[in-house]
Amino acid sequence: MTPGTPVLEARALSKRYGRRQALTDCDLTVPRGRVVGLVGPNGAGKSTLLQLACGLIAPTSGSIRVLGARPAADAAHLAKVGFVAQDTPVYAGLTVGEHLRMGARLNPAWDAALAERRIERIGLDPVQKAGRLSGGQRAQLALTVAAAKRPELLIFDEPAAALDPLARRGFLENLMEFVADLGASAVLSSHLLADVERVCDYLIVLSGARVQVAGTVQELLAGHYRFSGGSGSGSGTGGGIDSGGSLPPGVQVIAAERTRGGSTLVVRVDDPRPPVGWSVEPVDLEELVLAYMTRAGLPAARSASTVPGVPR
Amino acid sequence: MIWLTWRQFRTQAQVALAAVLLLGTYLVLLGLQIRSRHHSVLAQCRSHGNCPGLLASFTSEFQLQVSLLGYVLLIVPGVLGMFWGAPLITRELELGTHRLVWNQSVTRGRWLAAKLGIVGLSSMAAAGVLSLLLTWAASPFDQVEADRFSPSLFAARNIAPVGYAAFACALGVTLGLLVRRTLPAMALAMVLFTVVQIVVPNLIRPNLAAPVGSSVRLTSSELSTLNFLGQYGTVGGLKVPSGDWVVSTSPMLNAAGANVGHTAMYAGCIDNSVQSAMLACLSRANLHVDLTVQPARRYWSFQWYETGLFALATAVLVGLSYWRIRGRLA
Repeated sequence: MTPGTPVLEARALSKRYGRRQALTDCDLTVPRGRVVGLVGPNGAGKSTLLQLACGLIAPTSGSIRVLGARPAADAAHLAKVGFVAQDTPVYAGLTVGEHLRMGARLNPAWDAALAERRIERIGLDPVQKAGRLSGGQRAQLALTVAAAKRPELLIFDEPAAALDPLARRGFLENLMEFVADLGASAVLSSHLLADVERVCDYLIVLSGARVQVAGTVQELLAGHYRFSGGSGSGSGTGGGIDSGGSLPPGVQVIAAERTRGGSTLVVRVDDPRPPVGWSVEPVDLEELVLAYMTRAGLPAARSASTVPGVPR
Repeated sequence: MIWLTWRQFRTQAQVALAAVLLLGTYLVLLGLQIRSRHHSVLAQCRSHGNCPGLLASFTSEFQLQVSLLGYVLLIVPGVLGMFWGAPLITRELELGTHRLVWNQSVTRGRWLAAKLGIVGLSSMAAAGVLSLLLTWAASPFDQVEADRFSPSLFAARNIAPVGYAAFACALGVTLGLLVRRTLPAMALAMVLFTVVQIVVPNLIRPNLAAPVGSSVRLTSSELSTLNFLGQYGTVGGLKVPSGDWVVSTSPMLNAAGANVGHTAMYAGCIDNSVQSAMLACLSRANLHVDLTVQPARRYWSFQWYETGLFALATAVLVGLSYWRIRGRLA
């Protein structure tokens, strides 16, 4: 495989459960070597996207390729992708040590030294039954099993959702060490932006079953600004580019808020020079993500087309 | 994969092994007891005569135990399918551990193959060992009774139980994959296995080869084997000395081939309150019945046909679960 092959490539990817559309027309290209944060509210389709990526479920339509092949295509491809599912399932009846043995038996590239070192560092007792572990310990064990197979891509589905803040921090630190150790790419979903902000350098905002925006954190921050002012011309709907009559072309309004002095817009623009009558400020990641989620929540925007990735 | 499957299956296998050892020991002891009784009965009948009476007392002595063990052997495959087959995959789905194991470097097909292989072969071995021991233990008894082709004995001897065990296990797994919940799958597996065990001996097994027609004169000895005598000449349970399996029996017919069920003669005979007098009355009337039978010499062909039939059904079920787990399952 060439180094240029994206870790994840989705084309018009859709998944429907009965009558519920879990993922709609998703187009994504995630380059290698990134730690990708997948954020969105609960029920946005994050789990669906990640389960499609590791081949647990099959798409209803469209296609998804992971590391250049169909997910879970064969044993060799399975070996290249490590997955930690939501609620970090482990075999309650097996001990910690037996989980490592399972990993060793089922994965040709198993790194026993790495696994044992990690288990020791976390402070897990190899003879303890996995069913008796705390949530944090269980998550660490699941992470160790996924990482010690030395995958090229690690996928985490809300791995830290059930953990208390301390355990979460420990888990995320461990996760980052693994990613650095393995030189792997990683995709991590969360509904907690703070987690993602701490560890990710690439962001996908998923909301209302659609990809709202995707790109490196740097590019996203460089491409989005807060415009304030525009007294009397800003529209409160935030529906689209025509909401501010005085805005020049090339400026896309993501979210708009009417304030006392006029309007505050979160806009996407290549050139941060504001039009006359507006002042410009940088946005932080949280504001940006919230703007996209808010837009996805608006009825008018549900049918709006997906925003293509910012130019790279 | 074999290690993991065995590790998950270990406890159940140990329980089953203990049960098989227990039942097996009992079967060996029973077999020795049956043999020693059989020897002494034969010796007695050589020296004193009255062989039929002695042999009848010999079979009635062990009747209860042997038939109960036969029923146990009928149930064993169903129980294994229910407790081993049905939870095999549904438990993983219910606990979410399939999301752990399906992301190791082993395809789902291989995972299923290992699980099915180990659990399926274990249940076949358990049923096979018990069947072998019962067949051995009861062989003097079956020889005297000469009705090993009858449905309840046929299904609890020789190789047929191995086919049932494979089928029941595959049935449990397949139902588990379709229903995806352990308890309903277990219940459904037991119900369907029971239905199959009723349908096959009644509707399918009699027709595995075309039955042969014959006619049997009802002398007092034939009449005494009947376990059902209807008001209008219908009979049931007729045993023929050749050991043929009687598939169907006509009502009692007279020499002209007419049904005697509605004649005054028949009504007069069965009005006797004393059974021996009634049978004597009927035996004097020169009656016969037309039978269709599966001849005793077909016994082993039928054992193989039946086992093959269940092996085929097993293969279809395995294919179905393979397709299901590869394509459709989340």
